[in-house]
Amino acid sequence: MVIGKIVKSNSHTDYVCQVYGPGEVGQPPAREDYAFGTFVRVPLNKGYWLVGIVYDTQLVNPDFGRLGPRLSPQSELAVFSPDYLNEKATLVGIAAVGTTGGSGQSQGVPALASSADTLVERMTEEQVRSFHEGSPAPRVAYAPLLLAQGSPLALYLLRRVVERLLALFPSYASMLSVLQDNLVWQSQIAPIGDTR
Amino acid sequence: MNERRPIGLTKGPSETPHEFTLVSPDLGQVLKVGEFVTYPAYVDGQERMILASVTHRRPLRLYPDDFLRDPTVSPDDVAALLGYDQKACDLFEVTANVIGYYDEDMGDFANPRLPPRTGLPIHLATDEMLAGVLTKKRLGEVGSAHIGSLLLRERDRVPIVLNLQAITSTHLAIIANTGAGKSYLAAVLLEEMMKPYNRAAVLVVDPHGEYDTLVEMVEHESFATSDYRPEVRIFRPGEVKIRASALTPDDLCYLLPELSERMEYLLRRAYRDVRQQGWDERGNAERWTRADLQSHLQRLGKGSKEEREEGGRYASTADALLWRLRSVLERSVIFDDAKHLDLDELFRPGRCSVLQLNDVDEREQQVMVATLLRRLLHARTLTVKERVKKGNELYLPYPVFVLIEEAHRFAPAAGQAVSTGVLKQVQAEGRKFGVVTGLVSQRPGKLDPDVLSQCGTQFILRIVNPTDQDRVAESVETVGRELLKELPALTKGQVIVAGEAVNTPVLCRVRTRHTRHGAETRDAPAEWMQYFSPPER
Repeated sequence: MVIGKIVKSNSHTDYVCQVYGPGEVGQPPAREDYAFGTFVRVPLNKGYWLVGIVYDTQLVNPDFGRLGPRLSPQSELAVFSPDYLNEKATLVGIAAVGTTGGSGQSQGVPALASSADTLVERMTEEQVRSFHEGSPAPRVAYAPLLLAQGSPLALYLLRRVVERLLALFPSYASMLSVLQDNLVWQSQIAPIGDTR
Repeated sequence: MNERRPIGLTKGPSETPHEFTLVSPDLGQVLKVGEFVTYPAYVDGQERMILASVTHRRPLRLYPDDFLRDPTVSPDDVAALLGYDQKACDLFEVTANVIGYYDEDMGDFANPRLPPRTGLPIHLATDEMLAGVLTKKRLGEVGSAHIGSLLLRERDRVPIVLNLQAITSTHLAIIANTGAGKSYLAAVLLEEMMKPYNRAAVLVVDPHGEYDTLVEMVEHESFATSDYRPEVRIFRPGEVKIRASALTPDDLCYLLPELSERMEYLLRRAYRDVRQQGWDERGNAERWTRADLQSHLQRLGKGSKEEREEGGRYASTADALLWRLRSVLERSVIFDDAKHLDLDELFRPGRCSVLQLNDVDEREQQVMVATLLRRLLHARTLTVKERVKKGNELYLPYPVFVLIEEAHRFAPAAGQAVSTGVLKQVQAEGRKFGVVTGLVSQRPGKLDPDVLSQCGTQFILRIVNPTDQDRVAESVETVGRELLKELPALTKGQVIVAGEAVNTPVLCRVRTRHTRHGAETRDAPAEWMQYFSPPER
């Protein structure tokens, strides 16, 4: 499922994707397709994909703050100002966390960068599972990378990731629970005060 | 153990000039406290291998506490989950104390006074190197005492061979908790002293009667050569006597319980009179008997004619004193009017005499040891200064070693024991005249600190009591603080040897005795059960 396209980047691992709105594609994505913590992939070279996670959402609305009256009523905008309708958009931030394709997957800072207008598609359960498979246990080697970005939502993002992995790898629940417990403690209890 | 790959790289100097730190993954887990490492350095234009001992070890990488939350999940697995899949993550900062390079001419270590530069490869010292430099003596040499092997290396790879000449010129102390193996170690030392290459003149003061198994040395093949076989004499309680006239007034006052000032005055007066009488009548002030002393006391009790008319000035005091004298001197098995410590019988090269003092009152034991040491020092002083000739009872023409078990009884830190002063005198003067003491104690905290600090060679086994640990730290200057921290962690038969007999403090595993150990702990539950078992037919 394609959810949109890359429109800019803030860094080598931080991309902005504009989500397709009504009328842009035959079947625009539902809110669940670009929810916080959704795994997406962006094609690089043939057969290689950049893997990212939706970590932020921003709504763009040029009409916000315009206090004066508009000559065209809302119902006639499509006739008199069709561009204006398209200026409203939903942007999602995507943190690049690795690559997949070819002989396997790699977690961490990807060597290659994506380019503008590249399509972004939501990864399937199987693709997410495959990206996290390690030997012998699953891996979340990009966790320090997400935390290093300094986003206030990073801990919550990782919690979502681990919850997802718990569902995908139930036989490694005890190991993943150690990580999950740490994240819950760090996000829920530690910010309140000195816990030592 | 001896592979020549570096074990780490120096990081830099530590807090003191003779310390440095190194960083090592220590995959083999060999850099333990007490272990020895080496590095090359140029001293006076010559390459020397500098020896250093590990004093501290600090991990540089530890997993976050949160990784340890689930006891069933290895933190390594959690780290692997996060992408850390290195085989070994350990890294340690190790502090080492520079001992120096071994100077063959000096027969000791010389400190280069310069820590190694940053990044220098550090090697584990080889067994061969350690065997050559830790102690001055080699196996089987005259004056050697093989007490075991270096603890941190494979058993018997690095033998610890002490310099007996150093021990017998500076006294020794063996201190440990009960059950840590101090009597065992003492017996190993005695065995070494009685080996054909040493043939020492030894006396063991044995308050518990646990050294009688040393008689097995007589028949044991390890001790016999074509021209030598050791002698072991066990003196049971009462077999060695002290002539009452050899006691000093202080000895007598110490032996008699609860003397008033008046009694003490009377006793000293009677003592003076009886010595004078001995001199006048027999030409020797020490020729008097217990009966002489008692009759003098009776006479003093009766007093002069005027005093008798007043009912006797000292009558009641003399009666009380006489009662005490009889109850102590007459009842005791160690005092006699004629027999006296026969030094020639007790001390002879190649003879180990064991003076058993079990069943003897503690104060009498102290007087016995005080009298023995006093007489011994006197005899050796006279002999060395050539004031007595062969045939004299005080002629003792060879150095002697006296091992004193339960030394805290004879030189207690608190209170006044009559033997403390003599022991201090022997420690101060004995080395000049070849009277050497070995003190064995389970309570260094209760041992007089001056006495302990006079012992030039120390054997320290497991000590848990903090007071005892503090006393050892105060009195034993040659052992570093870091090594002393190991004391509670030592197990049975492991000992820190420091002082004159070794070139640097070492952790040693005591060797197996040739003779059986006589201080086995009783198995009380087994004996209780035996009470209910049917009698043997």
